[in-house]
Amino acid sequence: MSEFKVTIRPRDNNIHVLELKGYLDAHTTPVLEDAFQQMLNEKKYRLIVNCRELTYISSAGLGVFMAFIEDVRANTGDIKLSDMTPKVFNIFDLLGFPMLYDIVPAEEEAAHKFGNNA
Amino acid sequence: MRLKKVLLLSGALILSVAVFFLNAATKNIDLETSFLQHLRTLCTVLSFVALTAYLQIVKRERPRGIVQGIGSIAVVTGGFLAIYLIISLLPLKGFETRDLTLFPRDYQTIFFSSVFSIVAGLFAVTSLLFIKDLVLYKRKKTTFRNFVLLIIAILTAAASQLFSKPLQESVASGIFIGIAVLLIVMNSFRLAWIAYLPRKEKIYALLYSLLSFFGFLVILIIFSQEAGGAEKGIHYYSAALYTFVQLTTIFGAVYFGMSFISTLFHLPTAEAFDRKQTEISSLHNLSRLITQVFDLKDLAETATKMTTEVVQATSVWLEIIPTEGSFHKSGVMSRRNIGQEEIDAILTGDRLSVRSIVCESRKVLMIDDVGSDKRTRHLPRMKKAGSLLIVPLLSHQQVIGILYATKEIEYGFDQDDVDILSGFADQVAIAIENARLIERSFEKERLQRELMLAQEMQKRLLPQDLPVFATVDMKAVSSPALEVGGDYYDYVHINDRLVGVVVGDVSGKGVGAAFYMAEVKGIFQSLAKIFPSPKEFMINANEALVSSIDKRSFISLIYATIDTVSGELVVARAGHCPMLYVTETSTEYIRPQGLGLGMKTGGIFSGTIEEKKITMKSGDVCVFYTDGVTESRSTEGEEFGYERLLDVVVANRHRGAEEIKEAIIQTVWQYTDAQGYHDDLTIFVIKWR
Repeated sequence: MSEFKVTIRPRDNNIHVLELKGYLDAHTTPVLEDAFQQMLNEKKYRLIVNCRELTYISSAGLGVFMAFIEDVRANTGDIKLSDMTPKVFNIFDLLGFPMLYDIVPAEEEAAHKFGNNA
Repeated sequence: MRLKKVLLLSGALILSVAVFFLNAATKNIDLETSFLQHLRTLCTVLSFVALTAYLQIVKRERPRGIVQGIGSIAVVTGGFLAIYLIISLLPLKGFETRDLTLFPRDYQTIFFSSVFSIVAGLFAVTSLLFIKDLVLYKRKKTTFRNFVLLIIAILTAAASQLFSKPLQESVASGIFIGIAVLLIVMNSFRLAWIAYLPRKEKIYALLYSLLSFFGFLVILIIFSQEAGGAEKGIHYYSAALYTFVQLTTIFGAVYFGMSFISTLFHLPTAEAFDRKQTEISSLHNLSRLITQVFDLKDLAETATKMTTEVVQATSVWLEIIPTEGSFHKSGVMSRRNIGQEEIDAILTGDRLSVRSIVCESRKVLMIDDVGSDKRTRHLPRMKKAGSLLIVPLLSHQQVIGILYATKEIEYGFDQDDVDILSGFADQVAIAIENARLIERSFEKERLQRELMLAQEMQKRLLPQDLPVFATVDMKAVSSPALEVGGDYYDYVHINDRLVGVVVGDVSGKGVGAAFYMAEVKGIFQSLAKIFPSPKEFMINANEALVSSIDKRSFISLIYATIDTVSGELVVARAGHCPMLYVTETSTEYIRPQGLGLGMKTGGIFSGTIEEKKITMKSGDVCVFYTDGVTESRSTEGEEFGYERLLDVVVANRHRGAEEIKEAIIQTVWQYTDAQGYHDDLTIFVIKWR
């Protein structure tokens, strides 16, 4: 079975980075859900999802972002996505995610977009 | 068998009568070693052989238990003594002794001597037969040998007197008698039957042994009295018989003396032995139940009933703790002689309760004195619970239930009870696990049937046949990954010229996706005719869906209207895979912008949606599909992708829609190495003729 892992890494300006690794499908979404839920519980709303090592995402995986984005934005935060491989970007792009989410090539850029007002 | 019995009995009778007449005829003659004396001896021996054979048959026909057997011996000795008493009260003249030989004074003496001798013989043989059963109980190899040796010794001792005068004593017979007595003592240690008797039967055995012992003892005393009358009759009748009866009586006296003492010493442990017996039979019953009882409630009832029996508890109850995914409720499944309120009272105190101690330690908890033990002294005083024994039921290191037993008295349970109930609990745990597995497999079967039904229903939601046009050739296929899926394709006649075709994919798989798929079908069929523009259709479909769909689910859709006369195709895409468009000169994935359905409401969604327009010419092919096609994986984990899809369509462009569709499926199938599709998979091919 394919593995999936989320690593949470704090950054400057009260930003937290979720590093995704592996294959995100219906079986592994609970891992990502738990990570987002943990962030919400800790009232951390400035989130960057680094997809550098994400090899695949299914529709169920995409659903996780949709489940949490409203709560995050309601608290003046955001979920920004970065470092996607072209294949993974294509999946996000097909569904129109770039029209709803900030998807940027590099994590630094996403952090910059959050600005300094923590 | 009946004939044999009659023959043996009548044979014995005739021989005895013959002996009587011989005796009568030679009343005053010393036969010495004449022919008549040998004839008399032969007749006597034969008559007893016949009698022994007869008694053996009769006894075998009516088998008795151990205690009954001892009882029978007591009755036989009693009967023999009674007959002895009667005969000795008769006014008989007795015998005259001359030259070690007895001469009866009258014919009555001869008659009653014969009768008494036969009765004595009967008594001896019957006693031996019954004692044989006792000695050979749970026999070992040596047991049987020793017993046979004893019988041989007794018979040899008797036989050595066959040819001597009634009162003559020989050294040889003295030696044989000595050997026989030695063997009697040896055989008298064979008392294996005592241990296996229940307590109540032991008491009877004790009583009967005592009676038999005294019976034999009295007979022995009578026999050894020189002055006695009746025993002289036996001497007169046959000196061998006298020795035989005497040795048998010694055997009886010694054996039952031993058995009386031994039984007496066994009595104190009889209760423990009984309990072991109950325990074994309870465990055995339970093992049997495991294969028979599938109902958890019945099982719990049996377990508490047996626990009560085995440890003689005042009250017992069994609590079942459901495992994850179980259909059972937690709680007391069965209780005996205790109310729910009393149980609740004993188990109060959340984290500190005896229940949680057992749950955490997963070990047996024994509380000797509920009133003073620090773990239970906070509990309200209860008459029923002086001491408490709590045993966890473990399955795969998980506590799946708890068995509780109480006794009124303090220190009511001992280590034996702990051992018994632990073994018992293991059995119950297995039984519960079994019952659960069976229930689960029933439930699984039921769900499987439901799913098959859902599959049938869903198949009917897809069009059975696509319409046939002179200009457009359309073919489609859909195959769910599981029993039901979220893929969808359909068509609608908008007007004479326009036909609408749609392919969609609900996020996720299985039953949840299938429900949304059914909803999409309803929306498509109603809205497509009202909104001929694909963009308008998408916006309205989104409005209809967004309110009813879960916020983490969405539906991707690609929808096109085709003018079957002009070849104009207008396509809109809502988050779905792009349309593959292959002409003679070009290949292209047409990808108008558009969010998936159900992700955003009104304004944002309609702002994202686009339409693209192409005009199909003869030989052009359009392919709609779901990501099950492009995301199919090879054994190496590589995706099928857009390039391979494009290649296979280009290669088969000149063929009909059906062949193109089959070619795509075959290629995907080969690519995945027939390990089955990972996702729902749908293909819709449109070919302009």
